[in-house]
Amino acid sequence: MQASGESRGGRFLQYAAVLILAITLNFALPRLMPGNPLALLAGVDVGLLSADERAEIMAAAGLDQPLYKQYVGYWGDLLRGDLGYSYRQKRPIAEMLAQRLPWTLLLAGSALVLSTVLGSVLGALSAWRRASPLDTSLLWSMIGLNSLPSFWLGMLFIAVFAVRLGWLPAQGAVTPAAQLTGGQQALDIVRHAILPVLTLSLLSMPDLYLTVRYTLLDVIGEDFVRTATAKGLARSRILFGHVLPNAAPPIVTMAALRLGYAFGGSVVIETVFSYPGLGRLIFEAVGSRDYPVMQAAFLLFTVAVLLSNILADLLYRRLDPRLGGVHR
Amino acid sequence: MSTHTTRNWLRIALIGFVAAALAACAPASPAASVETAAETTVSEPVQLRIGVMGDESTLTPYTYVTGYPGWNLLLLQYDTLYQTDVDGMAQPWLARGLSVSENGLTVTIDLRDDVSWHDGEPFSAGDVKFTVDYFKAHTQSRFTRALAPVESAEVAGEHQVVLTLTAPTPLFELSVLADVPIMPEHIWANIEDPAAHAFESASNVGTGPYRLVEYRPDQYYRFTANPEYFAGAPAVAEITAIIYADDTGGLTALQTGEADMLARPVLPEQIALLSASRQINLAQGALFTTDMLTYDMTKFPFDRAEVRRAVSLAIDRQELIDTVYLGAATPGSIGWIHPASPFFNEAVVTEYDPDQARALLDEAGIIDSDGDGIREAGGAPLKVEFLTPSGNALRLRTAEVVSEMLRNEIGMDAAVAVVEQATWEDAVWPGFDVAQGRNYDMAMWGWSAPVQANAVRITSLIHSDPAIGSLNLTGYASETADALAEALNVAVDPDEFADLLDQVQVQIATDLPFIMLHYPDGAYAYRADVYDGWAFMAGQGIFHKLSFLPESARP
Repeated sequence: MQASGESRGGRFLQYAAVLILAITLNFALPRLMPGNPLALLAGVDVGLLSADERAEIMAAAGLDQPLYKQYVGYWGDLLRGDLGYSYRQKRPIAEMLAQRLPWTLLLAGSALVLSTVLGSVLGALSAWRRASPLDTSLLWSMIGLNSLPSFWLGMLFIAVFAVRLGWLPAQGAVTPAAQLTGGQQALDIVRHAILPVLTLSLLSMPDLYLTVRYTLLDVIGEDFVRTATAKGLARSRILFGHVLPNAAPPIVTMAALRLGYAFGGSVVIETVFSYPGLGRLIFEAVGSRDYPVMQAAFLLFTVAVLLSNILADLLYRRLDPRLGGVHR
Repeated sequence: MSTHTTRNWLRIALIGFVAAALAACAPASPAASVETAAETTVSEPVQLRIGVMGDESTLTPYTYVTGYPGWNLLLLQYDTLYQTDVDGMAQPWLARGLSVSENGLTVTIDLRDDVSWHDGEPFSAGDVKFTVDYFKAHTQSRFTRALAPVESAEVAGEHQVVLTLTAPTPLFELSVLADVPIMPEHIWANIEDPAAHAFESASNVGTGPYRLVEYRPDQYYRFTANPEYFAGAPAVAEITAIIYADDTGGLTALQTGEADMLARPVLPEQIALLSASRQINLAQGALFTTDMLTYDMTKFPFDRAEVRRAVSLAIDRQELIDTVYLGAATPGSIGWIHPASPFFNEAVVTEYDPDQARALLDEAGIIDSDGDGIREAGGAPLKVEFLTPSGNALRLRTAEVVSEMLRNEIGMDAAVAVVEQATWEDAVWPGFDVAQGRNYDMAMWGWSAPVQANAVRITSLIHSDPAIGSLNLTGYASETADALAEALNVAVDPDEFADLLDQVQVQIATDLPFIMLHYPDGAYAYRADVYDGWAFMAGQGIFHKLSFLPESARP
């Protein structure tokens, strides 16, 4: 047990090192990019500034300080939970992120659940009926889905279900200025979420489907399954009692890892659907070179990916008895 | 689940998909247009949904983000002392009129006495003085710089205010008084840090035709009409500005009926497409944005006047517009000012004459001596790098066509170099400070509408002193141009001003410190069945407060 504890400590040290590196890179990248932040700070009148005004604006943003001082200040701010200030939007970034986070959680969370459930069920079905027409058609559909660009599928859904059929709204998270309350408001939010969630789910489902299918096929081929079948156990009992528990570790790991990437996947989808989440915020920050917002959002993504890795690590240990987690 | 039922499910899913695909290919149902025709007969209060791209923050004079449409949204709530009319001239608005002293330094403004703030408090001269003082004391706003010509403001009566200027300022009404929103003293006097002040309905008090009542970041702004508006009750009862992520999103919303108008002009290739739609109308007209060629005039080849003139003569501007803009642009005037502007000098003629261009170069001894198709001057080939930003497809295509014209017509090699926007800006305009020089040969460039709309700014394009010529990106230095610019900068007499501006245009057309290509036209898409009262303001489009006022209330 001693050794295992040590290795876990080592692992967390690794994660900490990655985090520090990511934060440092995050600090350095915007400063290495070409261009002058003055355009952003001063807005449309940048050409009308006097030399004094230019210096004043740079000083107010702390950009006249030597680089190492800016770096130390960056860490100090982070440790205080201060994510910085958007000069473009003239607002604290933490506030901007907080306003958008719930929408991304709704979108990415629903899609994660839907695609995991659908991907697992279809993957299990495929594996269980290997080489049947069902398996073949599912496999080909998933490979096809996997090769679609996300913006294209989103735009196709908009063209069909919003523009032609008029069943669902094409843009946004709510009907603007509709003043809805209670159940109607909830229904409005659901109606707006259907197309983006469906797009995100369909696009992330193939990965999970393929993992589940191949893992199950592996396990089904094992001796203990053959033994169980020979003992005359019901098929459902074999599937749920023997196959699934043994196939669980890689599947759960995959699902946990995707938790971290769910944010990143939302950039394109939120833009296509004008959904007011974090992905859209990043898209606009990149477009308008709002560096402080980009930094804060990338930091959030980094932390999400690291946390999901840690989670996957922990889950794997609990599910796989060979790694000594279950019996402790 | 048995295999049989699964197969049935698959079949149903397949049928569903085919049906959806067929529906997508079918023409739009005619029922939609019948419905909208019926709607127009009902005279309910108009509720208008306008699509904008990008969040404009909390929309106070200190927090709004873009010059367009941010400033236009801001001015739904606030008023200015003067208001630009549809011809682009300043007319009295919160002010009744003004008089300027002999030396041009004292401006006495009479104010309307029938104006109230949204909360019912009366508007008075104290608010105007307060606004000037506040913008001078809290410098994080663009309006601090707009007020630079104003030294101080004094209250001369309940409805009279006297402004002292630092120097005589031509077009003062247009460039300052029609730009700066007047803020209520009784609200803003208590706000210490305006840039950090969050949106709350109480603080968004103006005198304007609308009041901002709701803001959801990245979603929408909701404005309701101010029925007590001094110029007359607005024609539109409620305006919702919906924030879309990009053009595609906005266009989709217009097609599905989720939006009634887009604030951003549509791209040339969409004009034909949208014109074909029965529900969507287009308002088209001149805009004051510009596409032009800039270059370093301090080195070869653009230090040679013949080369600059030959380049201008070799460009077929109409052909360029037909190819790239599908006709939706106005050919550039080499004197800078747009032909639709009241200040355009008709004596300035922009020619396309490749024969003359070649003759000019031949005469100057710039000829192709080695037969490679590129001319040389004393061994140095007529070869430059032509910088173009990657983010703008229309500018990129313009650059490619221009490059081809120059090679074919006058044997000049202007190789298009596509770079990221920041790199492009940094090469042409390092540090946004022309005193720092320039690191490029030739570039596609353009100025936003205000530089053209405020005709005085022409001086910043040509003066050789960076303090005055803050937009002189080409290193142009001419004593004649400097003298003209200095005179124009203080010409408060309208006739003298117009005369000097005519001379400056001739000067630019002669020396060519930059070469105008064209002014893209604006085409704004809207649904006429929802609202059809739009007014096209010369050079600025249809999204401004006058569009929402009844005809009788417009200046």
